[in-house]
Amino acid sequence: MSNSLKIFGALMVWSLAAVPSICQAQAEPIGYVKTVKGSAWVTTSGQRVPAQQGTSVLMGSQLKTAAGASMGVTFKDDTVMSFGPDTELTVDEYLYAPAKDQLKLATRLDKGTLTYVSGVIAKLKPDAVSVKTPSGIIGVRGTSFMVKVGDAE
Amino acid sequence: MKLPIPGPRLSAGLILVALLAGCASQRPPSYVVLLPSPDGSVGQVIITGQRGQKVLTEAQQGTWLDGGGAPFTIARTTIDSDFDAALAARPLIPERFLLYFDVGGTVLTTESRAVLKQLLERARSFPALDISVVGHTDTLGRSSVNDALALRRARYIAGELKRLDAKDMSIAVESHGKRNLLVPTPDETAEQRNRRVEVTLR
Repeated sequence: MSNSLKIFGALMVWSLAAVPSICQAQAEPIGYVKTVKGSAWVTTSGQRVPAQQGTSVLMGSQLKTAAGASMGVTFKDDTVMSFGPDTELTVDEYLYAPAKDQLKLATRLDKGTLTYVSGVIAKLKPDAVSVKTPSGIIGVRGTSFMVKVGDAE
Repeated sequence: MKLPIPGPRLSAGLILVALLAGCASQRPPSYVVLLPSPDGSVGQVIITGQRGQKVLTEAQQGTWLDGGGAPFTIARTTIDSDFDAALAARPLIPERFLLYFDVGGTVLTTESRAVLKQLLERARSFPALDISVVGHTDTLGRSSVNDALALRRARYIAGELKRLDAKDMSIAVESHGKRNLLVPTPDETAEQRNRRVEVTLR
């Protein structure tokens, strides 16, 4: 589509329609687990569940893979992430309400490997997308990248 | 010059890169590497850490996560050995489809009937299918009529998708009436490209 602005416009109105439900509940899924190999978990509000295809990811969820495991997640704004073995990533903030200019995707990668394909939030508001690591912060300007965080010293 | 103690998974390629870059960082092997986006374009990442700030603008360019040292090119083999498991786990990139309608109703154009078939076929590839369906109209007629028509179009397509009966499927249906034109037109204008349903498969 050459007319990507129109698509953004569509999304803006779409999210305007979705605003009431955002106000009601923090408990709306912001994404779903799509792929799992080996042992992986999603921990939300202290509740840890084994990750399976279709497991909901919420704001604040911690995503974790065991040694030898991997997992992939697709978010509502079309951001796609996947994790290699022994990886821990937390979704600190996720806001997707373009009509209210509420756009934010802040994650924290404590260890392991991450592949990242940015979605609509990064297109609409590049400053709003970041990945925090133990040694530095990655600002995401609408793109694809990978990060490796080695074991702590 | 003291070299960093390689971690067990630090590959030979990365050590070489570290030597070439003259980087004797005490950090463990932590780095970021830029890739082309699925559409082929290359964006940017900005790394800000204790030792500075770096901007990556080229595919396969990498840098340390503390912002120190000069950016370097990461060998394909290093990328493969560090990220093969993560890359293998990457979900399908979401796909968007546009379906067009004849004027005033929920009858798809001949071309779009073929696109719907493709869409249904593609949808089977997505695990835990998460679909957004948004209906639109052109600017013929009153807003209230168009809101209802766009919703009927979206529900018709959602109904076709529900017949897939896929496991863990979720569908969000919306109507934008004539408020979100793909092709800007004056009011009361027939425009086939605006009479559409947009479907995103995730």
